[in-house]
Amino acid sequence: MKNKPRKAATRQPLNTDTSLLPRDARTGEAIMPSEQPGYYPGYSTLSQQAYWDKTTRDLVNDRVDHVPRIRHFGAESARFWRIVFDHILPQTDRVPKRRIPILERIDDRLYHNRGVGFRYENMPTDREAYRLAEIAINSESHARYSANFIDLPQLQQDIVLQAIHDNKPVAAKPIWKQMSIGRFWLLLLQDAIEAYYSHPWAWDEIGFGGPAYPRAYTRLERGEPEPWEVEEQRYKWAAPRYSISDTTESTHHLHTESRQNEFIPDESQ
Amino acid sequence: MKTPLLGPFKSPRNGHHTLGPMQHIDIPMRRFRDTDEVDYVIVGCGSAGGVLLQRLSRAGFRVVALEAGPFWDTERDWVSDESGSHKLYWEDLRITGGTDPLAFGANNSGKGVGGGSVHWAAFTPRFHPSDFEVYTRDGLGADWPFRYETLHSYYEQLELEMPVAGPAYFPWGHPHGYPYGPHPMGGVGNTLIKGCSALGIPVSIGGPVAILSGSRADRPHCIYRGYCIQGCKVGAKASTLITHVPDAIAHGGEVRDYSMAHRIELGNNGRVSGVHYFDRDGASWFQRAKAVIISGYAIETPRLLLNSACPGHENGLANSSGTVGRYLMAQAGNVVLGRFEQPVRMYKAPPAHALTEEFYETDPRNNFARGFAIQTVGPLPIAFGKQMVSAKRAWGWGLRREMMDYNHWASLGLLGEILPWPDNRVTLSEERDQFGIRVPHISFSLHDNDHKLIKAAKDKTMEVMRAAGAAEVVQEARYAHLVGAARMGNDPRSSVVDKFGRTHDIANLFVCDGSILPTQGSANPGLTIQALAARTADYLIAQGDTIFTSAKRDMTEPTMRKDLAPPDTWGHGVPRMK
Repeated sequence: MKNKPRKAATRQPLNTDTSLLPRDARTGEAIMPSEQPGYYPGYSTLSQQAYWDKTTRDLVNDRVDHVPRIRHFGAESARFWRIVFDHILPQTDRVPKRRIPILERIDDRLYHNRGVGFRYENMPTDREAYRLAEIAINSESHARYSANFIDLPQLQQDIVLQAIHDNKPVAAKPIWKQMSIGRFWLLLLQDAIEAYYSHPWAWDEIGFGGPAYPRAYTRLERGEPEPWEVEEQRYKWAAPRYSISDTTESTHHLHTESRQNEFIPDESQ
Repeated sequence: MKTPLLGPFKSPRNGHHTLGPMQHIDIPMRRFRDTDEVDYVIVGCGSAGGVLLQRLSRAGFRVVALEAGPFWDTERDWVSDESGSHKLYWEDLRITGGTDPLAFGANNSGKGVGGGSVHWAAFTPRFHPSDFEVYTRDGLGADWPFRYETLHSYYEQLELEMPVAGPAYFPWGHPHGYPYGPHPMGGVGNTLIKGCSALGIPVSIGGPVAILSGSRADRPHCIYRGYCIQGCKVGAKASTLITHVPDAIAHGGEVRDYSMAHRIELGNNGRVSGVHYFDRDGASWFQRAKAVIISGYAIETPRLLLNSACPGHENGLANSSGTVGRYLMAQAGNVVLGRFEQPVRMYKAPPAHALTEEFYETDPRNNFARGFAIQTVGPLPIAFGKQMVSAKRAWGWGLRREMMDYNHWASLGLLGEILPWPDNRVTLSEERDQFGIRVPHISFSLHDNDHKLIKAAKDKTMEVMRAAGAAEVVQEARYAHLVGAARMGNDPRSSVVDKFGRTHDIANLFVCDGSILPTQGSANPGLTIQALAARTADYLIAQGDTIFTSAKRDMTEPTMRKDLAPPDTWGHGVPRMK
């Protein structure tokens, strides 16, 4: 397989608000949406599928080809959560036909009432958690900007979600009393991550090798690529102007899970 | 080349039930009728249940293992995919609480034949001699009702049956060597070696891990594909599904899948008479048996005992001590992630391939008792993404950015001993599951010694990661494994079962799985669970019909029956180093 960079060929101009696009870190200019963002241009896990076992091949192809229809969320809630997930895992750097469906996967899980094997005692059921959170996030929007979440400009939507992320909501206190805000945030993020990073286009984006049975990985050391993988080609990028989510904060000083995720103060010092 | 010369790979199916690409078993197997009174019903066909079924069947007993999940055909049912592997985990509802609530499901609970051994990473260190006398040495926790020496030969035996790959000399605990050669290093193993070596910490390279480093009979060698905890399609990683169940079936044992046990029946004579279970359609059945062994692991075992409450046993079966459900343990499993300038690609090689137990024992210089191990882990993208949320509070563009750097990260997991506390406990919730069975409620809270140990372990692991050259080091706090909640001991007032797993209260009811462990050390529990199962099997076989007819409790240690091991166990590997 030839691994020629094809970034240039796949970039295409779009009628997109450039303030919502990631920028070249040096020039500050918007980077046009592409079929495959990330540092591994030309890499395609799906191109290797003849080397996978049949069950895996069928499953992954089904994931790409069949997007479940919305059955759990009503139209209004679906519109609300779609916009929320556009902030949780934004995809304006992808051309529309290569965006990875997130809401549909979560809707499918909730529709079938599929759990993950446990529920925190300070949490309602997952369906109820999403129902309550929609109310709480809209309350937060009203308290801060006197409008529904979906009617806010992008940046203000980010700010509302950042308040939930930081455990600093100003509204909907009764809801956050019956539902742990930290646990809800984790639920939301975990659902989004499972949908996005189970998709082979996301594997291509991050340079993950994907399925390798029965062929095997053979170059285990020094991060070297298999002959069918590609070398990394990094570029420096900055987040869109109208976003505030490109910051991180290490929690390495918190040594227990509940302190990291539930904001429980450390009393063991 | 986009396709193999002979076209896309097909599954090696040939009309058989396939376990790995080369091994297959013939189905239908023997099927007992409900009206048959079998010798043993085993509840749960996982790490312990699989070994018990194999030994007892080979010894000529009539045995049925009830398994709540499916009997996997690995080619048809399993995938190289994180999101597609949820069915391997116990994902029925459990309610979790306490100040430090545990996560279940994919984290620590298996479902289906092979149980947790299907999705374990397969690290198989032994417990240390000190683990068997924690109370005597440290004044905390508990002592086991026997010493390391009792389990020593069973450790050697199970290391051959799985078998285990690792170095020819392992320096910690009771020093020993491994029968199969160590695995080649991946990027994460090299990180641990580099960091430990820079700090003068000894390190075990290439194991101990129950993954084949070379082909053996009808099982191929490891292909380093990294999906160990999604079930090893290759058949290189040991699970009782492929190491013990086929031999059990060949000797007349029955695995009854999709059979969810919900109540043990107690007869008028104070002995159990069988097990009530639901099939996959929700119909209720009763299997008669002369004796019952519960091997449901640390949540389902106490749940079943509690749900089997009946007149005379109002607090649950075999619970006169009030300890059923208590002394539940998990290990601290904080993951330390380091970012390197050069790519690592940590998805290659088994997550489990190097470790150090240099900090395992109580160190008088510490302000806490007991210790920890540091091990390799290799999260795939979804698991890694969730770690970035907790460790860096990443979301939005920040999360997309961290994920684009996935190939630059390596991760080490600490495994820290959390002591057994009576308030860490499984009880019954008022909520019910899809069968109408009351679901378990688990309460888990760390105590002072646990906090101090985890902090020290986390700091040491971060120090190792920095010494390996990581430019950035972060940490995700979490827990690993489950044991306890039906512990063994000599005193019927403070334990559920005796040293062979027989309940103190009922002569023909046994528990054999991780739930009987009094303490847990900082070793992964899988090998110890299987070693205990082989020993309990030897005891039952030595006792013969006495188990079925008498309340006599013979506490004589059995002789090990090497002749009852699966075929081809002996005559492999390197000589043992003493």
